[in-house]
Amino acid sequence: MNNCSQGTKVTARNVNVWYGDNHAIKDVSVDISDRMVTAFIGPSGCGKSTFLRCLNRMNDTIPTCRVEGELCLDGEDIHDARVDPVELRARVGMVFQKPNPFPKSIYENVAYGPRIHGLARSRAELDEIVEKSLRRAALWDEVKDRLQAPGTGLSGGQQQRLCIARAVATGPEVLLMDEPASALDPIATAQIEELIDELGRSIAVVIVTHSMQQAARVSQRTAFFHLGNLVEYGETDQIFTNPADSRTEAYITGRIG
Amino acid sequence: MPEHILSAFDRDLEAIRARVMRMGGLVEEALLNAARALKARDEALAAEVRRGDRAIDALELEINESCARLLALRQPIASDLRTALGVMKIAGNLERVGDYAKNMAKRANVLAQMRPIEGAPGSIKRMAREVHAMLSDALEAFIREDAALAEDVRQRDLEVDQMYNALFREFLTFMMEDPRSITACMHLHFIAKNIERAGDHVTAIAEQVIYVVTGELPGESRPKGNRDVYKVIPEGEL
Repeated sequence: MNNCSQGTKVTARNVNVWYGDNHAIKDVSVDISDRMVTAFIGPSGCGKSTFLRCLNRMNDTIPTCRVEGELCLDGEDIHDARVDPVELRARVGMVFQKPNPFPKSIYENVAYGPRIHGLARSRAELDEIVEKSLRRAALWDEVKDRLQAPGTGLSGGQQQRLCIARAVATGPEVLLMDEPASALDPIATAQIEELIDELGRSIAVVIVTHSMQQAARVSQRTAFFHLGNLVEYGETDQIFTNPADSRTEAYITGRIG
Repeated sequence: MPEHILSAFDRDLEAIRARVMRMGGLVEEALLNAARALKARDEALAAEVRRGDRAIDALELEINESCARLLALRQPIASDLRTALGVMKIAGNLERVGDYAKNMAKRANVLAQMRPIEGAPGSIKRMAREVHAMLSDALEAFIREDAALAEDVRQRDLEVDQMYNALFREFLTFMMEDPRSITACMHLHFIAKNIERAGDHVTAIAEQVIYVVTGELPGESRPKGNRDVYKVIPEGEL
């Protein structure tokens, strides 16, 4: 039996995470809505990235890391023995702070996921997925004439959009983004934000960001983490105009808490 | 509220608050001096009030500009954002009160040329003093971030409204008794009305202070005075 609630995409109940003896996430419970952008904010080391990585079991890859509590995707326990973590990560995609394209062509970067998950039955179908994903990531027009060029030869902003194209190619239901625009210039940042806004209309997007303004611009819900605790979680406009907790207020207004 | 990590942000906010207090001080003075000039038939003091309005208007402009700069450069949020938004409205309200004081001073000049109306300038001065006290407390509430004091100011507007209603009836009787007093009484009535409106603006300032401090604008729970003034008096009773 689990007590995961319906109507939300991801449900976390009493999640605790330890790195060795370090208690990194303390009893966090949160509901993440479908077709919405949720922002995780908080100072460095507050646990927001750790918690994000719980949502597609990325922490499994860290030997000293221990995760307890209940995490459900569509009401299904993601730690259930029947859940294949690779399968899970196709459903819950991830984009990292630093663009990390494979040392392969632009085409292969996007085609890789659909191919290993058997999402295309023919070359034509695969071509279609690649084009659709690159279009969703607003990169198609810039790369359509050089799909065989190496992905690593693109600019930083283009590489990040390539990584987003790669992540959406498997048709994820949830997209986790860890500081996806922190290394980009304002134009590339705006393009990524436009993309997040677009993606948030069809799937659940969770973004970790250090930029308050970015969280305010792209998200509908905001969660503030501090010292491993979820301090406040609510509508973004409420968090940024009238936060309930003084720690949230001190953090978002740039005060010494 | 603890300090910002970026101290220049605090200096900007502090400078804006200081300007609001300076503007508030000038408006307080203008209101009181206009009432004094009326009672003492002091034309020089009235002229001073009229001249002083320019400095008040200039400060409003300065406050709005510094708030625009703060919004553009510091991107304030939460209480900082509410301060910037609230301050712009407060400055607008102060500017209106300043205008009313200027108009009172103008009329005080005219009234100084006329036969005095017994008792009226005294009553008007009491009313002005009450609004002045409310304004002082509203500014005090702003600088101390004291929502309770602001709420107290808000409740006190009722007294001003009642004073205005009483004056309105008094002027009506004067004018009925002696039509030669009509011109003077009309000016006095406008002055009373100006002070009553100034009280409304001070109430609006108090409400902005509550918004800045708590994040919520108070609802319509303010006591309203009786509506005698708006009653139609049948012709036979005039």
